[in-house]
Amino acid sequence: MWGFQILEAPTLCSTPELIGEDYMSSSTLATKGTEPPATGPRASTTPRRHRTRHAESRGAWILLAPYLALLLVAAAIPIGYAFWIALQKAPTLVDPSSGFGGFDSFITVITDYRFSGTFINIFSVMIVWLPLMMVGIVGLALLVHASPGRFGDTMRFFYFIPGALSGIANFVLWVYLLHPTQSPLAPLWQEVGFGSLKEIVTDGNMPMILTGMLFFQGVGTWIIVVNGGLNGIPDEIFEAAKIDGASAWDLAWHIKLPLIRPWIGYAALMNLAYGFQLFLEPYLLRQISSGAIAGEWAPTQLGYAFAFTNRNFPAAAALSIILLVITLSIGVVIVMKSGLFGDEKEKKR
Amino acid sequence: MSNSAPGVVGAKHWTVGRIARITVMVIVAAAFILPIIGFIAMAFRSQEGVLAGTDGFLGLGGVSWDNVVFSWSQINGFGPGDGGLFTRWVGNSLVIAIVGGVLALIAALPAGYALARLRFRGRKVLLFATLLAMVMPNTVLVIPLFLEVNAIGAVGQLWPVAVIMGFFPFGTYLVYIHFMTTMPQELVEAARIDGLSEISTFFYVALPISKQVVALVAFFSFVANWTNFFLPLALLTSNQENKTISIGIQELIGASPLFNATVAAGLDVKLYMPQLALATFISMIPLLIVFLTAQRFLMRGQTVGAVKG
Repeated sequence: MWGFQILEAPTLCSTPELIGEDYMSSSTLATKGTEPPATGPRASTTPRRHRTRHAESRGAWILLAPYLALLLVAAAIPIGYAFWIALQKAPTLVDPSSGFGGFDSFITVITDYRFSGTFINIFSVMIVWLPLMMVGIVGLALLVHASPGRFGDTMRFFYFIPGALSGIANFVLWVYLLHPTQSPLAPLWQEVGFGSLKEIVTDGNMPMILTGMLFFQGVGTWIIVVNGGLNGIPDEIFEAAKIDGASAWDLAWHIKLPLIRPWIGYAALMNLAYGFQLFLEPYLLRQISSGAIAGEWAPTQLGYAFAFTNRNFPAAAALSIILLVITLSIGVVIVMKSGLFGDEKEKKR
Repeated sequence: MSNSAPGVVGAKHWTVGRIARITVMVIVAAAFILPIIGFIAMAFRSQEGVLAGTDGFLGLGGVSWDNVVFSWSQINGFGPGDGGLFTRWVGNSLVIAIVGGVLALIAALPAGYALARLRFRGRKVLLFATLLAMVMPNTVLVIPLFLEVNAIGAVGQLWPVAVIMGFFPFGTYLVYIHFMTTMPQELVEAARIDGLSEISTFFYVALPISKQVVALVAFFSFVANWTNFFLPLALLTSNQENKTISIGIQELIGASPLFNATVAAGLDVKLYMPQLALATFISMIPLLIVFLTAQRFLMRGQTVGAVKG
């Protein structure tokens, strides 16, 4: 980083012909005449740069302070604390002592009979949901972008409305949609042979139900994000392509799609990670299924059970850390590859 | 139509592609909007009408204000004594979502700016940490957060929830992207040349061109806070008075005879689908207001700041 910054010095005047007078005058201005007469650009800028670098760095940390404080309280400390808790021994009725337990709680979690099942459950959902989600997000964002004017704006607005209903509201909406007699889809459910909510909300239907819920509530927000990426592309590119005879399809497939690749990667990353955090939907589906869905259907639910049912905090912490490692690994891989934080951007600075 | 000159930019003609595009978009929009209309209608219907199935298309025929008045008496009657838990839950959610949102703005604006436009040791690491924190699903951290709040004995209180919600790395990222795309480095350099300190540059140069991103961060954080479920579930379930509306509705669902006949039998109020829909609809009104306020910012494409022209 620092080596890179030294090379960055002439960014004020990246064109060679400016290095003469203009550069000199700007550097004199910046130092407000405190510098001795310069013998050459480089000689005069080095001490100044050091001083401004220092001020810049100090300013940055001051500006970052509130954020850093919250980062500590809401992420770093709890993560560290969870590590520490996970290494403790869980007190039991037989042996109420606590103390250092090593990796025992991790073994407790991994050997739990429900552990692998919870991951199989969420994979079974992600396999259906993620591809649909990505096609939906990108497809609809491209369609919206291909429709300038009031129609496109209205459609984008409509697509976003379910996104505003996320969480519990989306869930209640889906209870209504899934209800085999009260839903507007009731004829469909009855046709397929579902007579009661209990027949619909089963283990086997979980991937479909969750796909419906997650798609419905998630797609609109992501259309806006990807659309933002599309709007960031200069119009000249499209004009040029149109003049070259590109059809709307060519434009979408060959020009827009490659250009919004970073946004697509970002959407994929966030949604994949989202899959591991599923909690509300399976938790509440159990509630309305009269217990047909397991109480520890998703990994987060298993963690919740460890913490609140078994009061085994070390195991709950260990499971959180396992989930953390998984989601962080996904994060690291895609952050490095998504291109949103790639070298191009750094070089532009 | 086929006579219109091919390749003319902006020519309005009904090509197959255009018809297909509009058809697909309208069908998708209908699939998104009709269920919501039906659901809102449900909030205005009566349980009798719902059971009889005579309310017509999307139940719109059975809509009446009297039904709302009755349903509200049921929702508001929920709770010990005379009830009133529902309004308390909504109030709690408002407090948490607003305090959390304000904290998120206070933290994200300067941080996002510093990450985008200032150079300092550790910038890349922090940017990376922010991105990871943003990617990290917030429910993964709920148990560790619960353990932390439990350790200081603040489980069941509202303030830890609001503070935790103030950490909103997505907001920082949005601000970062905002300044990366709309505020050229030259503007920062110019401010420095004019003798502004780094802090003043943020307040006098960067903040005035941040209206759109302020709206975005405020909106997204308010929505995230309002709809957050797992965090309040873990931190506030123990204190019924301090629940938020999201976990409150869960309690209403649990008390509905539709899903739990035994619990419901012991209650004075009856919460069927119309009542649940109304409770949900009311809980969405603050989101609706925030959404309509922020709408023009959300829908605008590229920011037009001080830079343009």
